Amino acid sequence: MRALGPGSVSSFLKIILDVIYVGLWVWVSLLAIFTVAVLLLSFNPELITSKLHIGSSIDELISKGPLFAGALGAWALLSGGWMVIVERLRRVFSTLTAGDPFHPDNVRRLRVVGLVLAALEIGHYIFAALAKWLAPDTKIVDGSFSLSAWFPVLVVFVLAEVFREGARLRREAELTI
Amino acid sequence: MAIRVQLDRILLERRMSLTELSDRVGVTIANLSILKTGKARAVRFTTLDALCRELECQPGDLMTYEPGPSEAHEED
Repeated sequence: MRALGPGSVSSFLKIILDVIYVGLWVWVSLLAIFTVAVLLLSFNPELITSKLHIGSSIDELISKGPLFAGALGAWALLSGGWMVIVERLRRVFSTLTAGDPFHPDNVRRLRVVGLVLAALEIGHYIFAALAKWLAPDTKIVDGSFSLSAWFPVLVVFVLAEVFREGARLRREAELTI
Repeated sequence: MAIRVQLDRILLERRMSLTELSDRVGVTIANLSILKTGKARAVRFTTLDALCRELECQPGDLMTYEPGPSEAHEED
């Protein structure tokens, strides 16, 4: 199978990354709109109850509204983190398609991916703890420690080091006459 | 770098320009400049062979060793 060009694995992966990136943009935008809408409706619930016959009472909507908005906001932040990761991977792929995968900038990009992955996992724990504190009766997220979530962080940092060495060898090759 | 390239001196002795040497050995002027200014990290045997052939010299005439600080880890 070809490494580069049309019909190659990298072109297929690039299409997947592009689709995910656009999908995440739409998803984050919708989440942000919903967050603002829920927050605004929690201050004035008559806006929705006058139009729709929903089961929950006005008092419940007022009390839970900011909580829902917080949950949606946290979700939007999480999705934003994934967007940063996908965006960096797209840039790494653009250097690959340009025939220069060991560009020095890719080391920084991979480190950012690793850091964002770690931040997302830590944010997940914080969000779970806050949810447990604010709404003890409902289980929104599972905040238990997961080794499989931290393993990709390790893998990405190892790959960043491999790319660092690759970038050094690239520089050496450039200065070989 | 402790290795000094004496390309300038040899070119002067042979009354040959860098452009002419570039044409003869098939190495770009940019790469010969990197070699001449001591910025090169490595030289291929094929390049060395071509340089020695066209300049009618020995590899030792092109390069000398002057003890000094090594730059092997300067980019790490």
